[in-house]
Amino acid sequence: MEIKPLKIGDLVAELPIIQGGMGVGISRSRLAAAVANEGGIGVISSAQIGYDEEDFNKNPLTANIRALKNHIIKAKKDAKKGIIGLNIMVALNNYEEYVKAAIEAGIDLIISGAGLPTGLPILVKNTKVKIAPIVSSLKACKTILKLWDRKYETTADLVVIEGPKAGGHLGFLLEDLENNNVELDQILVEVLEEVKQYESKYNKEIPVVVAGGIYTGTDIGKFMNLGASGVQMATRFIATYECDAHENYKQAFLNRTKDEIELVKSPVGMPGRAIVNKLVQTIKHEKVKVRKCYDCLKRDHCDRVNIPYCITNKLIEAAEGDVDNGLLFCGENAYRLKKIVSVKEIIDELKDEMLAY
Amino acid sequence: MIFEKVVELIANELSVSKEEIKMETHLQNDLGADSLDAVELIMTVEEEFDLSIPDDLAQGLKTVGDIVRYLEANK
Ligand SMILES: Cc1cc2nc3c(=O)[nH]c(=O)nc-3n(C[C@H](O)[C@H](O)[C@H](O)COP(=O)(O)O)c2cc1C
Repeated sequence: MEIKPLKIGDLVAELPIIQGGMGVGISRSRLAAAVANEGGIGVISSAQIGYDEEDFNKNPLTANIRALKNHIIKAKKDAKKGIIGLNIMVALNNYEEYVKAAIEAGIDLIISGAGLPTGLPILVKNTKVKIAPIVSSLKACKTILKLWDRKYETTADLVVIEGPKAGGHLGFLLEDLENNNVELDQILVEVLEEVKQYESKYNKEIPVVVAGGIYTGTDIGKFMNLGASGVQMATRFIATYECDAHENYKQAFLNRTKDEIELVKSPVGMPGRAIVNKLVQTIKHEKVKVRKCYDCLKRDHCDRVNIPYCITNKLIEAAEGDVDNGLLFCGENAYRLKKIVSVKEIIDELKDEMLAY
Repeated sequence: MIFEKVVELIANELSVSKEEIKMETHLQNDLGADSLDAVELIMTVEEEFDLSIPDDLAQGLKTVGDIVRYLEANK
């Protein structure tokens, strides 16, 4: 297969590959710049990005905003002409402040899920910043595009579909995941049909990319044949030198078996997928006491009292290298990671496989 | 009547019977609406009553009564 670039309005990525945002602290400027330099789109996750700033415990919001800007500026500089995106979860508090800070710092693209990014169009109005909702069903895609159309007379620049094999929080019911009730291929076909009306109304192309379990260039070829304009991949980029997490974190993903990957509950209210460790075993039968609240999630997601553990605390512990007590989010294909390589090695392999497809 | 109209919209949108819908009925807890249904419903209400409900207020409309009172105050 010929390798087609991914075009998002006037942004053109040489490769149809977006590196999915990974919080907390897993995809920051280093990983994002490395992917962008290879021709893909590098994505920084905004989630608690300032966790290692000195004043984070005292004032998480200020620390996060500062770190977010610094990472975007650094990634843009290191990536030269590459495209840098921001991943931001709708469930997070202070959503608007983060988006505004990212725009100020020069972000190219904002990808937003874990809820419907209903207010995103106003925030990027009169800028060249592109916006993309992450959806996990046709229904979510319909609702957000209809809302953007009715309220703001605008549409998405890109749609990301996240399927059931993805890492991080999943936009599906636990029972549907356990019973394999959903297929990414199927959602892709439906979403491609749905975006057509907005493509003609707004006279522009709305590329659709798929995420969740994409691992090889053959996978990419398969989805592009079905009509996707590209893919978003995250888990594979964890096992790279450039991944921003602690060395222990990366090592913890290597040589796992399928049985060591499970669905877990999260305070965000959606299921997640993670590597089985001491934490995952513990939360099956008890709660982990919450010592400090970082005020990270909106109240209707996290009530601070009945939650199984504090998501921010557990993701920070993981990023810092405590792989027993921290939460190791991963995609279903994480068991295929065998060794740490460079981003370039992964991209070269993907390119070869795409060309051979 | 605002209440009757809202009941009709909810019954249609969520495919539930009108008898189930009272002022104190909670959209998600009592009628099984998910967060997407709630957003869709607010869009329908906006269209039907020809007004625009700001996002942050819309998220606070959890019961039938919340919607009816909002409309009474803003119509
Ligand atoms: C460690 C980890 C952290 C993640 N964090 C986020 C996040 O902060 N926000 C988000 O929208 N998605 C997050 N994701 C989802 C990814 O961006 C991506 O869509 C998904 O994992 C793709 O599937 P793959 O990992 O099988 O390639 C995360 C995934 C992983 C593995």
